[in-house]
Amino acid sequence: MSDQVSNDTAAVSRFIDNFQSAVDFQEPVEITAETELASLAEWDSLAALGVIVMFDMEYGKSISGNDLKGCKTIADLFALLG
Amino acid sequence: MGLSTLRNVGYRGLATCVPKTVVSNLDCPPQMRQERERLIRNVGIHTRRLCLPWQCFSDLAFIAAEKLLHELKWQREEIDALIVVTQSPDYLIPATAIILQDRLKLSQATIAFDVNLGCSGYPFALHLLGSMISAGTVRKGLVLVGDKCATQLDPLFSDAGTATALEGDADAPPIYFDLNSDGSGYKAIMLPIGGHREPPAAHHFLPVKDEHGINRTPYDLQLDGAAVLSFSTQRVPPAVMRLLDYAKTDSDAIDYFLFHQANRMINETIRKKLRLPEEKVPMTLHDFGNTSGASIPVTMTARIAEALRSGRKRLLLAGFGIGLSWGECVIDIENAVFPDLIEA
Repeated sequence: MSDQVSNDTAAVSRFIDNFQSAVDFQEPVEITAETELASLAEWDSLAALGVIVMFDMEYGKSISGNDLKGCKTIADLFALLG
Repeated sequence: MGLSTLRNVGYRGLATCVPKTVVSNLDCPPQMRQERERLIRNVGIHTRRLCLPWQCFSDLAFIAAEKLLHELKWQREEIDALIVVTQSPDYLIPATAIILQDRLKLSQATIAFDVNLGCSGYPFALHLLGSMISAGTVRKGLVLVGDKCATQLDPLFSDAGTATALEGDADAPPIYFDLNSDGSGYKAIMLPIGGHREPPAAHHFLPVKDEHGINRTPYDLQLDGAAVLSFSTQRVPPAVMRLLDYAKTDSDAIDYFLFHQANRMINETIRKKLRLPEEKVPMTLHDFGNTSGASIPVTMTARIAEALRSGRKRLLLAGFGIGLSWGECVIDIENAVFPDLIEA
């Protein structure tokens, strides 16, 4: 069970790294699973494109703009991986 | 229709004309500068070409056609067909191609008409004129592809006009096509106002300020970036693989892959999915932006003209976008003329 938790933690952490690189933040930003997307200055249509590409290329998962609109936090985004 | 082969069609040459006015995406209101720097990094477009206010797409295409006819030493009366593929005609009606028949001093026996296609247009243009030539009803023809779609502030679009010459040739290698349409996605890129569904009305001209304080009206192009990105990166790579298979060739045998210049994120995703080396995938996004249907010929002229002049090359051309519409072709080009880029 604890192995599962640490695997999930590692996966979330890797997901956050991928997210940071996909959004291309101007300044370094501290991001956790609880971070609200709306609180990030760079979370805009360009960032959404980067995240769709990231899902596709890093995880082999196709998501749409509407999938993203339903997400409030980083954890919601992570949950799209299914 | 999807996959098809055209025989007896020779690709004789291509000329490309862009406006001489260069605008940088950093020429923007100061409050947009940071966002623009990020956009240049991600979308990959730095400078664009912008028509002067009195310049139309057809003016660029006219210059390109004149240059091409001169280089080919074709006589005007030899041209049987003139097809214009654009979404920026001179007038809503009549067709720009018919006006250009007279302006180019072509015979009145010329078949001339317009086709409404944008970013996907070039492979469709080659197929359309090529089909008429392959059927034997047209011997020599020109197809003019491009758009006037740039504005000072929009960071994506750039203007260009191109002219391509095809000729009947029993010894020409076959051209392989894959052409597709999906009208269920028509809202992804559209100009909703001004046609018959929603005719122009006074209230459409009232500007509304967007989040940057820039005035927008319903006459501005509407583009759902996420939908276009998903469409392009999901549909194009498998379509390219299917066409390579149909043409009994593979990516090693293709000298250059020319993709519609849409957006660096889209183009890089397509390239990586197809595992293509960068040197086989010429790009003009950085300097010429998204020139709509002209982007494949713009890239041929601006990046690989020298290689195309130097001997037989096998190309894969792939257009995709507004419609939604996507089409690719595998074409062998040899002994064709490729004049240097014209600026007007």
